Amino acid sequence: MKAWKILAIALVGYSLYAGLMFDVPRLVILNETIRNLYFHVPMWFTMITLLGGSLVYSFHYLRSGSDGQPASMDRDNQARSFAEVAMIFSLLGLFTGMVWAKATWGTYWTADPKLNGTAVTLLIYASYFILRSSVDDAEKRARLAAVYNVFAFVLMIVFIGILPRMTDSLHPGNGGNPAFGNYDLDDRMRMVFYPAALGWILMGWWIATLRVRMERLRHQNTF
Amino acid sequence: MIRTQAIRQLLRWEWEMEYRRSNGWFLPILFTAMVAYLCTLLVREPSPAVWLALLWMTIVFSALQTASRSFSATQGQWLYINQIVQPMELLLGKTISTAGSTLLVTWTGVLLFGLWLGWPQIPGSSESLSTWPFLLSLSLGAIAISATLSFTSALASKMDRGTGMMAILSIPLLLPTLLVSMRASKLALLGESSLVLYPNWAGEILMAAIPLALGGLLFPYLWRS
Repeated sequence: MKAWKILAIALVGYSLYAGLMFDVPRLVILNETIRNLYFHVPMWFTMITLLGGSLVYSFHYLRSGSDGQPASMDRDNQARSFAEVAMIFSLLGLFTGMVWAKATWGTYWTADPKLNGTAVTLLIYASYFILRSSVDDAEKRARLAAVYNVFAFVLMIVFIGILPRMTDSLHPGNGGNPAFGNYDLDDRMRMVFYPAALGWILMGWWIATLRVRMERLRHQNTF
Repeated sequence: MIRTQAIRQLLRWEWEMEYRRSNGWFLPILFTAMVAYLCTLLVREPSPAVWLALLWMTIVFSALQTASRSFSATQGQWLYINQIVQPMELLLGKTISTAGSTLLVTWTGVLLFGLWLGWPQIPGSSESLSTWPFLLSLSLGAIAISATLSFTSALASKMDRGTGMMAILSIPLLLPTLLVSMRASKLALLGESSLVLYPNWAGEILMAAIPLALGGLLFPYLWRS
């Protein structure tokens, strides 16, 4: 087992324990739900990292066929697996966020830019998987999916990154609400939050590589 | 290397094909009219926000309907098209013709909405709302939409079961463009000064430029087969 996998287990284990047991600032409305920061935010970091990985693999796939060599189908497998695992994390991020929103804002869902961004991300990648399932030829499917992945990723980043700043929002980091910046993420919380984020990113990466290896084995067995 | 001559030739050829097919330009106009009339039957005296939302819904679905045909051609026609243009010129030419049909759909929609639902009035104010900045906002939005639509249309045309995929592939990607355009047209409708409108127009132009640049980067990979 590689060192980074041990690190992933250690960091996630530490964040689970420290996130629930360590002392946190007492703030009105937030109260103990502030602990959700250690679980909700790392899900999004992991999702974006994995989608970034998927984008890079899609780009490699497109490049691989350009010099007369056959395109690398394994790159396609990697791009797909990373996107799949990223969707699991986005659903986890959505659910942890909805629970948190119910506790602090009083509702599971509001027309908030951050929530809309999430919904759009899910829709875009749902389209990506539907696109994959509606092309029969493997090489063509890989090519069209890679093209759509790159196109969609950039527009998604535009949507979730830039547009929410145009409108008001209840969510921290928007519309004058502080994010976990200088004021409200104190040093004690930082000592849990950063390891948690790193731990979950490594964990997500690990799950995605396992998915890639599973697909490779399945592919070997069919021929 | 992009030859404007080749793009012009492609556009002229397309125009002649549409013209000869007599239902060519009539189809999107009829579709828009039907959706617009449906809206007028369902809603009476809408508020300006509802009026605008319905207008954009009409525009988006009519544009989707129109753009989904833009990369469909017979094998013989493709043979001819591939002889006159390179892939990049094809994408640019198709984007221009999609923008043309989307603008047609947009203006038809505004005209019919004005006719059937009346021009929106701000409650409590007697002055009529400004027209030209509003039309410009709509037109820029239409161009931005067609930049995304022409690319997804090309993608859908390469799929085995592409019909119906157009909407699925495009709508999530159109949301940022629509939000920017919606905001620009709402501000223009409310008669904001041009100082407020310029950044929003710049946003709309940016939302046309991003998909175009991405399309330029990715189209050669898409079209190789």
